[in-house]
Amino acid sequence: MRKYLARRAVYAAVTLLGVSLSIFVILRILPGDPLVAILGVEGHARMTPADRVRIMADLGLSDPLPLQYVHWLRDIAAGRLGKSFFRGDTVSELIAHRGPISAEIGVLALFVSWLVGLPVGILSAFKPNSVPDGVARALSILFIAVPGFWLGMLIVLASLFWFGYKAPIVIVHLWENPWQNFQIVIGPALVLGLAQGAYISRMSRSCLLEVIGEDFVRTARAKGLREGIVVMRHALPNALLPVVTISGVLLGFVLGGSVAVEQAFGVPGLGRALVIAVIERDIIVVQNLVLLYAVIFVVVNVLVDLSYAWLDPRIRYG
Amino acid sequence: MSLDRRTFLKRTGAAGAAAFIASRLPAPGAASAQDMTVRPDPAAKRGGTLRYAVHNAPAHFDVHQSGTVANIGPQSPMYDTLLRRSPKDGQTIIPDLAQRWEISPDGKKYTFYLRKGVKFHDGADFTADDVKATYDRIAHPPKGVVIPRTPLFSTVGEIVVIDPHKIEFRLTESRPKAYMLGAFASGWNIIVRKKTLEENQGNLRQVMNYPGTGPFRHVARRDKEVWHMERNPDYWNKGLPLVDKLDVYHMFPFSPELGSSFLSGKVDYARLLDPVSWRKAKEMPGVTAAAFNQSVIQAFWTNMQKNKALADPRVRRAIHLAMDRHTLVEVVKDTAPMQVGGFVYPFHEMSTPRAELEKKLGYQKDIKPAVQEARKLMQAAGYGQGLKNLDFVVRDIATFKLWAVAIQAMLKEHLNIESNLRVVQTSVWFDEAQAGNFDLAISAIVSTLMDPSDIFSAWYGKDGPQNYSRWTNPVFHDIANQVERELDDNKRRMLVRKAEDILENDPPLIPVSYEQIYDAWYNKVHGQNPSTYFGIYDVVRWDNVWLA
Repeated sequence: MRKYLARRAVYAAVTLLGVSLSIFVILRILPGDPLVAILGVEGHARMTPADRVRIMADLGLSDPLPLQYVHWLRDIAAGRLGKSFFRGDTVSELIAHRGPISAEIGVLALFVSWLVGLPVGILSAFKPNSVPDGVARALSILFIAVPGFWLGMLIVLASLFWFGYKAPIVIVHLWENPWQNFQIVIGPALVLGLAQGAYISRMSRSCLLEVIGEDFVRTARAKGLREGIVVMRHALPNALLPVVTISGVLLGFVLGGSVAVEQAFGVPGLGRALVIAVIERDIIVVQNLVLLYAVIFVVVNVLVDLSYAWLDPRIRYG
Repeated sequence: MSLDRRTFLKRTGAAGAAAFIASRLPAPGAASAQDMTVRPDPAAKRGGTLRYAVHNAPAHFDVHQSGTVANIGPQSPMYDTLLRRSPKDGQTIIPDLAQRWEISPDGKKYTFYLRKGVKFHDGADFTADDVKATYDRIAHPPKGVVIPRTPLFSTVGEIVVIDPHKIEFRLTESRPKAYMLGAFASGWNIIVRKKTLEENQGNLRQVMNYPGTGPFRHVARRDKEVWHMERNPDYWNKGLPLVDKLDVYHMFPFSPELGSSFLSGKVDYARLLDPVSWRKAKEMPGVTAAAFNQSVIQAFWTNMQKNKALADPRVRRAIHLAMDRHTLVEVVKDTAPMQVGGFVYPFHEMSTPRAELEKKLGYQKDIKPAVQEARKLMQAAGYGQGLKNLDFVVRDIATFKLWAVAIQAMLKEHLNIESNLRVVQTSVWFDEAQAGNFDLAISAIVSTLMDPSDIFSAWYGKDGPQNYSRWTNPVFHDIANQVERELDDNKRRMLVRKAEDILENDPPLIPVSYEQIYDAWYNKVHGQNPSTYFGIYDVVRWDNVWLA
C-alpha cells in the first residue's frame, strides 16, 4: 500500500509540474496587456515606453521567463502564493475568503448528484423501458445537454421577476449566517449537481442492469430475499465501483463548471475570482488558482482510487 | 409728479426690503458659484446606510493614475477636490477645499484661498503644501507615474504656496477660464497629503487606504465585493455627510448581476445599468431612473499609415457618410444606451446643435443622399470598385461586436468595401491600435472635460494619445491651437464650428455614437439626480445624499 501511495504521489507531482508549466507558458503566450487594466484605457494610451519598462519591472514581469517560472515554483514550495499585482491582496487571502464558498458548492453539488442520480438510476435499472425509466432517461439527457450557466441565468431571472428575489450579493460564510450562506450556495450547487446527477443516473443504471443479470443476484432472489435487500445488499455495492470512479471525474466537471455557474449566479466564489482575474490579466492570481484546481482534481482522483479497496475487498494495492 | 409722505415711506421701505433680500441672494454669473458650497438640505433626515453599486473593483488605488470609474466610484467619497461641480446640476463649479478663488485679468494666475480647520482622516491639518504636492504630481508626474489628466495642466508653470491657506497657480500662457476651472473641479484631482506621497515615492497604486479629507472614512474592503465606509465626524463641511454609512458594491457595468441586484432591492442606487434592467426599473413604483451624457465617444479608426486608400480624405469621408447612425444606435439599444453625434460632443454648447446636425449628410435618418455622395467620393478617389480585405479589429465587448457586424454590412452594401472582422480582448485592442496593426478598429475613448480643447488634443491632436488613425491636418491643428487659447466664448464657438467642418471633410475617426449612462435609485434616496450631469467622474461624493 505504501509503495502504491508513493508511486501515486510521484505521478501526481509530475502531473502538477506539467500543469504548472502549461499554465505558465499559456499565460505568457496569450496576447493582452495587464497595464490596460492597471492604468485604464486613458492612462495606458498616455504611457511612455520608459514608464512601461519601469512598471513591468515593479510587477516582476520583466525577468526572463525561465527565471519567472523558477521563482513561482520556489514561492509555492515556500507556501507563498504571491499577490494580485493590482491591489496587493495575497492569493492565500483570496483562497481563504472565497474558497469555502466554492468548496461548499462543490461538496453540495456532489451530494445532490448522488442524491438524485443514484435513486433515479436504480429505478430505471429495475424497471427498464418502463414509463418512469423513459422519463428519467429523457431528463438525464436534458440535464447533460443544457449548459449550467444558461440554466443558472434562467433560475436567477425567474426568481427575480417572479418573486423579486436574489441571493445575498456578498460572501456570507456558513459560520456567520447559515441561512444566508445556504441561499448563496444552493443555486449553483443544484445546477451543477443536477448535471452531474444525470451522468450518475445513467452510469448507475447501466452498471445495475449488468449486475442484476448475474448469478448471485438470481440466487439472492431465489433465496426469497425481498427486492429491496437484493438491491441494497447484493446488487448496488457491486455496481457502485464505476459510479465512484465517474464521481471523481465529475468533480473535475464541477470545478470547471463552477467558473461559469458562479458567474451566472453572481456568487463571489473562487470560480468568479478566476473569471475576473482572467479579464484583468492578473497573471499571478490566474496561475495559482488554476494550479489549485489541478491539485484538487489530482488529490480527489487519488482518493477515489484508494476508495476502491474499501468498496471492493478483492482489490489490494501492492 | 407729487409724492406725499405716506407714499414716500412705503416706497423707501419696499426698496430697502428689496435691497436686503437681494443682498441675501447669490449674485448672478461666475462669481455666484463661489457662494455655493454644498449645504445640507433643511428637510434632510440623518442616518442610515446607502448601498451603491458601481463598476467592478479597481485595478489599483491611485485615483490620479486611474482612468476608470472603478476608482472614482468607491474612492471619491473619501476625498475632496479644490473645486467641485454642484451636485444640483452637475455643471456649476463651486468651492470645495478652496473656499474662493481669483483669476488675474490676463488669465495667467489662479489664486485659491483654502479652508482653515480642515483635517485629513489621520488627524493631520490640511494646508497649501498638500495642494502643491498634489498638483505638482498631477502636472509633472514623477518617473513611472502616468496621470491621464496631466495635459490639462500643461500650461501650469509654477505652483507657489503664499501662506498655509493661499496658493497660486502661475500659467505660462492663459487658457479659457471654463477650461481651467473645469480641470480644477475634475473629480479625478483629489487632494492627498504631501506626506502620503513622500512616504510612497509618489506612487499610490498599491496603497489601499491613504488619508483624504472627504466626507466618508474607510472602514473595510472586500476585494471585488464591497467597500465599506462610515461618516467622517470631523468633516469640515458641518452637517455633512447625511448618511452614517456608505457601502459601495463592485459589479460589472451593464451586467445582469448589477441589474438583478438593483431590481431585487439589494442596492439602493445603481450606476451603469443595462438598458433592459433600466427600463424595468423605470416601470417600478418607488423607483426613479435617469439617463445622462457620458464623456465617451464610440468610434472606429481608419489606419492612414498602413492603408493608402484610407489616407485619402475622400475615402474616409465616404466611409463616414456610409454610416446609418440611427440604425447603429438602434442595434445596441438593449445592450447600451447611445445617441447620434458628430466629432464634438453633440450636447456641448459650442458644437453644432442637434437639429442642425441631423440635417447634415451622414446624420440624417434617410441615408440615401449621403450614400449617393459617398459613392461619388469613392469614384473620384479612384476606388469606385470598392476595397477588399480590410482588417477590422473589434474590441471584445458586446456593443462593438454588434456594431462591427452592422458596419461591415453597411460598408459592403453602400461602398463595396469588404472587411474581415478580428475580435480581440480589450488590452490586445489597445496594443494593436497603438502598434498600427489594423485597417479599421472599433472601440471607445474618453475625455476628462467636455471642453473641445481637451478632445482636440487627446483625440485629434497630431501626437494625441488616442489619435489611432495617425491623422494630421495642419489647418485643423492651427485652429485647435486657437481654440485652446481663445478667451472669448463667441470667437471660440466660431472656431469650434470651423474645426468641425474640417473634421467632417477629413475625418480622423468615424464617429459611431455617444454613450449615455443609465442610473436608477429607490425614492428613499434623496439629494442626487444626475439627469443634467456630464459623465460619471465629477459628482461622486454622496455627502449631500440622504435616506428617508
